[in-house]
Amino acid sequence: MKKWKVFSAAVLSAAMLAAPMTAMADDAYRVCFVARASADTFAAWLTNEMKKAADQYDDIELTCVSGEADDAEMAKQLEDCITKQYDYVIVQSNNNAAQAPYVKAIADAGIPVVTTNPTTHQADLDGETGDPEVDNAVMAGTGTVDADPVAQAAVGAKRAVEEVPENANVVVFRGPSGNYHAEKRREAWDTYFFDVRDDVNILYEDYANWNNDEAMALMETWVQGGTHIDAIISMNDNMAAGAIEAVRNNTDYIAEDGTPSFLAYGVDGTAQGCLLIREGLLTATALQDAGEIAALNMKYAEAVLNGEMDYTEVNDYVDAPEINAENVDEFLKIYIENGEISEADLD
Amino acid sequence: MKNSKLTAGLQRFSIFIVLLVMFVACSLLSPYFLTPNNLMNVARQLCVGILLAYAEMILIVSGFLDLSIGSVLALSGVLAVSTYKSTHVMVLALLVAFLVGIVCNMVNAVFVAQFDVPAFIATLGMQQVARGIALYYTGGANILQLGKFVQLGQGMVGPFPVPVLIVLLITVIVWYLFNHTRYGRSLYAIGGNRKAAEASGINTKKSIFISYAIVGVLAGLAGAIFMARNNSGIPNGAVGYEMTGLTAAIVGGTSFSGGVGTVMGTVAGAFIIGFLENIMNLIGVNSYIQSIIEGAIIVLAVAFDIRSKSRKQTKQIMAVKDEAPKA
Repeated sequence: MKKWKVFSAAVLSAAMLAAPMTAMADDAYRVCFVARASADTFAAWLTNEMKKAADQYDDIELTCVSGEADDAEMAKQLEDCITKQYDYVIVQSNNNAAQAPYVKAIADAGIPVVTTNPTTHQADLDGETGDPEVDNAVMAGTGTVDADPVAQAAVGAKRAVEEVPENANVVVFRGPSGNYHAEKRREAWDTYFFDVRDDVNILYEDYANWNNDEAMALMETWVQGGTHIDAIISMNDNMAAGAIEAVRNNTDYIAEDGTPSFLAYGVDGTAQGCLLIREGLLTATALQDAGEIAALNMKYAEAVLNGEMDYTEVNDYVDAPEINAENVDEFLKIYIENGEISEADLD
Repeated sequence: MKNSKLTAGLQRFSIFIVLLVMFVACSLLSPYFLTPNNLMNVARQLCVGILLAYAEMILIVSGFLDLSIGSVLALSGVLAVSTYKSTHVMVLALLVAFLVGIVCNMVNAVFVAQFDVPAFIATLGMQQVARGIALYYTGGANILQLGKFVQLGQGMVGPFPVPVLIVLLITVIVWYLFNHTRYGRSLYAIGGNRKAAEASGINTKKSIFISYAIVGVLAGLAGAIFMARNNSGIPNGAVGYEMTGLTAAIVGGTSFSGGVGTVMGTVAGAFIIGFLENIMNLIGVNSYIQSIIEGAIIVLAVAFDIRSKSRKQTKQIMAVKDEAPKA
């Protein structure tokens, strides 16, 4: 027992000594990226891209932490950013309203703070006023680098207006309730598709919370309803993939030769989404490029830290290019280059 | 006499009565419920949950539990998928899944049996560790293009889905273990009273190690089936699945205080939850409302089951008192 205690004490002491030594390794600017969750596919991709982007700058030392999709954990991580006196903080909120006061506290502590994917708005802190100009403004004292969820979802929605057959029956898979990107993408589908095509019937609609397996279980049951589903409308590629997997062996939906009798729309342009487009099972998606978001974040971080601009001037949105059967191969190259898939996966 | 036999029978099979009532109610609520495709769907969707429920039942009966099973499932699943993608050998991929499950659960067993760490704490720690390793190994990204590995979750043998056949085989094995082996009987004894079990010569530590090893195999198998069903190696998959397993076992009559639980009861518990989820999806109930209804019905089903059993016990006690010779 005594040996255990001595061993534990030695390990703890070594860890405590090693931690500040790592932190004091050089005089680079200390930047912290607080990701929403390490178990979230996109957040994980964004974290990896942040690390790659930070490696391009000798004067930036990046620390990545994760809120694990838990608002209390996010609050702790954001408070720690003030305690540790980082030079610059990038926040990917889990729940905008819950994190807004902590983001403000970082700004109040004089630390430049930029919110990314999603943007924290003034309304997240103060509540909705009903004035879109006030509510949609980036939170005072912060900057943002983001992708526009409305523009992303509009890509598929506009295509669907032309492609979805008359009086079609569709199903809708939603992201988590209250999530800014989930809600805005759904709003975009209303604006650009359902308001235009009032002949279309929403057969089923439910929250699959960005998850492949939840969407799969829903779709498996929905197809038992007997009415043919003409289109899958999903707020991300992951859920679309789950829904497609549910009908992969169903000849009412995918013929023996692999031709689908349904349309499917996603958002994100993930590797899985691109592979499904190549297979002819996903009609279209819009890229949310984590690499571009990360590169922009680091570019602005360096500019702010070197006094070239004020962090409240950071306000940039990445494009949402459409990915479809015609151009999917060029996007697949991105994933082959970053190692997420290999050439062999395309066979 | 005839009436009391009937009542005793009803009480014994109360959970199956709940299941039957639910089955009839579901068939009245939706014309699609009774279609063979839908019933096969429910069975296929329940496969992973039933494997986890067996694992939890084995542990709960002997007075333990496993909160790490969802994370161990994810870790063993992604490593199995990764192995398959490198070798294209299904048996090897499955062996990796079993091995990972066993190793994780041997760590749990060491802390629980050797260091007397409460199972809740030991397995909570492993929950974090296993999930962390799965995410670190994959960099948080899904592993795609699984090739023929998907047959394990999506394949058919005649009219029967492969995972359903696997679960049927596992059901027979677990049922045999529980009802026809010394190990099975030792679990009930340990869960009823561990000290009394030790005093009667049962090697409780050995039983705990065997239980966690079996749980490891079940978690590994569930991981492989889960990934195959989703056609992806998903490191963040099966979050919260420990609750799926625990709920099915508890609804099926397994007592949290140990010593009580049956394989068929657990299957019934899993199907009660499965039918409930299925019918709510079929009639288009919003998933947040589903959660409320599911919680309420689960509590009511368990309350009905406990009440029936306590009545049975009271009657047995009274019968013993009546038969006892008067002083």
